[in-house]
Amino acid sequence: MTSPSASADTLLGTDNILEVDDLTMYYKTRGGYVKAVEDITFDLGKQTALGLVGESGCGKTSVAMSLMGLLPGNAEINKGSIRLDGDELVGLTREELRERRWRDIAMVFQGAMNAWNPVYTVGDQIREAIRYHWEPAPSVEVANARIAELFELVGLAPAMLERYPHEFSGGMRQRAVIAMALSCDPKLIIADEPTTALDVIVQEQILKELKKIQDDLGMAIIYISHDIAVIAEVTEQIGIMYAGRLVELGPTPEVFADPRHPYGLLLLRSTPSIKGPRRKLAPLVGEPADLVNPPPGCRFHPRCPLAEERCAQETPVMEEVSPGHQVACFYWERTAELDIEGV
Amino acid sequence: MLKFIGRRLLQMAFLFVLFLTILFFLLQAQPGDISSQFVGNPEIPPEAKEILRERLGLNESLWGQYTTFIINFFKLDFGVSFTEYPREVSDILLSRLPRTVVLFLTATLLAYWMGFATGKLVAWRRNTKLEHVVTVTGIFLYTVFYPWFAIMMLWIFAANLGWFPVGKFITPSVWNNAPFEANQVFNRMIVVAVLFALFVGVVWYLTRRIGDLDRRKWLRRGIAAGGLVVVAFYWMGSDMRTYAADIAHHTVLPVVTLALVFFAQITLLTRSSMLETLREDYILTARAKGIPERVVRDRHAARNALLPVTTSFVLALAAVIGGGIVTESIFSWPGIGLALLNAVLVEDIPLAIGGLALIGLLSLVGHLIVDILYTFLDPRIRYS
Amino acid sequence: MADQPSNVDSPPSEQPESPDIGIVVEDIELTRGQIIRTRLKLAWRSFRKNWSLFAENKIGIVGLGIIAIFGLMAIAHPILMATVWSDKKDIYDPVIGTDAVIVEKVVVVEVTDPETQLTLQEAQLEGELFASPGDIVEIPLAPAPPSRDHLLGTDPLGRDILSQLMFGARAAFTLGIVAALVTTVLATLVGSVAAYHGGLVDTWLMRQADLILLMPLLPLLIVVAAFYQVGLIGLALILGILGGLGGTAIILKSQALAVKVKPFIDAARVAGGSSRHIILRHVVPNVLPLSFLYMMFEVTAAILTEATLSFFGLLDIEMSWGIMINTAHTQGYTLSGLGTWWLLLPAGLAVTFMGFAFFLVGRAADEVVNPRLRAR
Repeated sequence: MTSPSASADTLLGTDNILEVDDLTMYYKTRGGYVKAVEDITFDLGKQTALGLVGESGCGKTSVAMSLMGLLPGNAEINKGSIRLDGDELVGLTREELRERRWRDIAMVFQGAMNAWNPVYTVGDQIREAIRYHWEPAPSVEVANARIAELFELVGLAPAMLERYPHEFSGGMRQRAVIAMALSCDPKLIIADEPTTALDVIVQEQILKELKKIQDDLGMAIIYISHDIAVIAEVTEQIGIMYAGRLVELGPTPEVFADPRHPYGLLLLRSTPSIKGPRRKLAPLVGEPADLVNPPPGCRFHPRCPLAEERCAQETPVMEEVSPGHQVACFYWERTAELDIEGV
Repeated sequence: MLKFIGRRLLQMAFLFVLFLTILFFLLQAQPGDISSQFVGNPEIPPEAKEILRERLGLNESLWGQYTTFIINFFKLDFGVSFTEYPREVSDILLSRLPRTVVLFLTATLLAYWMGFATGKLVAWRRNTKLEHVVTVTGIFLYTVFYPWFAIMMLWIFAANLGWFPVGKFITPSVWNNAPFEANQVFNRMIVVAVLFALFVGVVWYLTRRIGDLDRRKWLRRGIAAGGLVVVAFYWMGSDMRTYAADIAHHTVLPVVTLALVFFAQITLLTRSSMLETLREDYILTARAKGIPERVVRDRHAARNALLPVTTSFVLALAAVIGGGIVTESIFSWPGIGLALLNAVLVEDIPLAIGGLALIGLLSLVGHLIVDILYTFLDPRIRYS
Repeated sequence: MADQPSNVDSPPSEQPESPDIGIVVEDIELTRGQIIRTRLKLAWRSFRKNWSLFAENKIGIVGLGIIAIFGLMAIAHPILMATVWSDKKDIYDPVIGTDAVIVEKVVVVEVTDPETQLTLQEAQLEGELFASPGDIVEIPLAPAPPSRDHLLGTDPLGRDILSQLMFGARAAFTLGIVAALVTTVLATLVGSVAAYHGGLVDTWLMRQADLILLMPLLPLLIVVAAFYQVGLIGLALILGILGGLGGTAIILKSQALAVKVKPFIDAARVAGGSSRHIILRHVVPNVLPLSFLYMMFEVTAAILTEATLSFFGLLDIEMSWGIMINTAHTQGYTLSGLGTWWLLLPAGLAVTFMGFAFFLVGRAADEVVNPRLRAR
């Protein structure tokens, strides 16, 4: 458990599987640096689930790719640290990162449609993950037995493992993707828009199954979605991202019922809810921020109805508003007014 | 899948008849009557002329001539050569067929194999010096004036360096008093090569379920090498060996020359196909799975990039056939292309039309083979 | 064709601001002059934008440079013939001109230096019947190496290589441009009509294109050229028609299909435009950028095909680069190599570079038309 880089927290035995501190990652492009991820800090407890939400292009997938060590050549982690189960991941070589991928952190991709290579059977592709991560590499029969087990767990017929991806329906493909993610017993699974391409009923089923699997097997999950409502039921914590920064982080029920960041509130109100009380939808006006030349100060201020002069000059830091609930806004106390006005 | 192949076969047959129809009208529309060509030929005895007219159906109506023309082709009856009278055109062409097929096939396989490997690497290392050098060289080879290029190859490697004979199929001095015909030896060589290919194919098939990839790889390579040793021993012990070596020596330069130009084309194609494939989601999945980059490149990206490269064979086929004719002409390689060229220059019309029809048939067969191959490469077609 | 634009389905990013999308709706009182001025301005702007994209790519500029050099050669030839070479037409005409360069050689028994010596037999063959060893004889030399009069030497028939090369450039341009124009016009029309009408028309045109693609082009042309008298323009037309009904038509059709589903086509249909009007005014202009691209590839193909057929001596053409190589080949200079480099090298390189240049321009234009190919 302990390694030289392990933090004091780990030595004291916290229950965090993942600790992200001040993570900052830029992409170098012709037009300048794209400031995709800036000063992200969060912890994830063992066997818990965190949801990361925000508009597309807000940097949630970039966070996921940083955690996976899957960044393209033009990306660079400028500062910060990622500790998985006490081990520092930032600064590892490509080969070290490769060995950890899937064994420690697996991923359930968005758009399961294209996540499968069309020319190999699904079983073949899962076996590939097993072959490179199990010590020692098992025979085809042993691997197949394991995959059959996983298939049953996610609700697929074991015989399907010799089928090709195009013979699966969308929901079945997504289940198989989950089975593949489980194949090496990872400590953490990142589910990037796991249900976006599916219809509502299948969405529900798959999320419930993931939840059940998490309860049974006990890994941590990070859900990434543009839709708070989808992941509200399966997560303990929700983090809201805007333009590469985390603006709100707190226990799911609290954030969901009572968001304190103006962006969090508007994001929540801009999507209809089936279960909550009926209310008018509040539009979120304006364009998402340009990440090459982001607005100074609080990045949300050009679109924020509460913005004052100070917002364009200083960058707000995370501030605890109630136990475990942090918000990066100078005027978070006034957010509630917005809710009433917005109706 | 059988249904798919059957449908393709029917389509091919239909296309071939269309092709023959075009040839027929080409013949009809040419200035003068074909009969006048051989009526005036002093080498053909008068009694034979009437038989020829009969065979070509020249005494019948246009429709009769047309049906005779088509039916004769399917009976492989191309008529009688004017210049090599009374030799049958089909006899001339069939004796040359193996040489042309071997030239096309080895050049094509060599070019695909090398071109695919190079294109794959080049795309993987995008925006490096290597990529630019290979791309520009590839474009140059692709647009090079092929006859000139072939002459240069002949001049450099045969006339100047003397590594290879200057064209032709055999060295006459070696074959003085030879107990074999050149075709006999050549056919034996083809049989051995085909048997070896089959053997390798069977080994590949039988070892496909071995889970340990390293073991599988070395086992396959070992058995293939063993097979090669057996083949080598076979030729050492054969009394045909000097003659076979002579033919092989003559084969290298034309095959390599033809393959080089075609290789450039495949490299360029593979490169762009690979660049497309690398954007696919499943490449990201493969990377995320934490498998080595080499495996991502070969097993995932390259394997899928192969599909469009295979489809593009239609376009490449025209190039390789054109290139084949030029190759045969410059290297004096006695194949169908050379027969066609010579026939055209001396106005041996039956031989020219027969050669053209056979080349058309070859291109259709090549096309069909690639179609079938494609169904094996793409499970989406195989299982639907 | 290698390395074609691989995403023919997606519309080109930079469509020329086509005039039909409805110019300035709020001000109907535009005069004709204003409309034309606006159109010109839009066209100029889109040209500048595309040009800057094109110019980013070095290979396109290199291609244009090579084409410009050949263009200068083609233009310079008739001018030279009318001025500098005008009184020596019998020497510098690329086809019928001939000039025996006279060299003096010593007749010897055993030749040690073939540049300055020759044997008695050789001298007699050259017409010096009464020569004896030690004599100096004047021998007409063809092919002659480069000299002041003939900068690139003469061919085996004593004709000036430089003049032939320049004349050949003109032939290559004529052939390439005619073939490419015919291909483009035909393929654009066929592709647009097939895409717009669909159904039987489409099936017919596309099966026809398949057939042409499957036919072995070069052998067929060899036979055609042997049966009929095929000249430069004739060949250009044949190649243009085969190209225009074949592969290029298929590619342009998929482009036209992408255009067909655009809202402005529906708008034009609702407004009561006839099929002909819609195809010509709305579909065709939007397919044109891609057509232009394929023109470049067609030029390369046409030049290479002509040179190959000429090389076999099958065309009814007076002079071209292919014929230059054919002359050297049939006169037995194929393997004389560097000793007579001026026979094979200039013509071979000219064909190669001309094809190379048009292909480069095509590829660079491809990256303008298909943004996905651009390196980021």
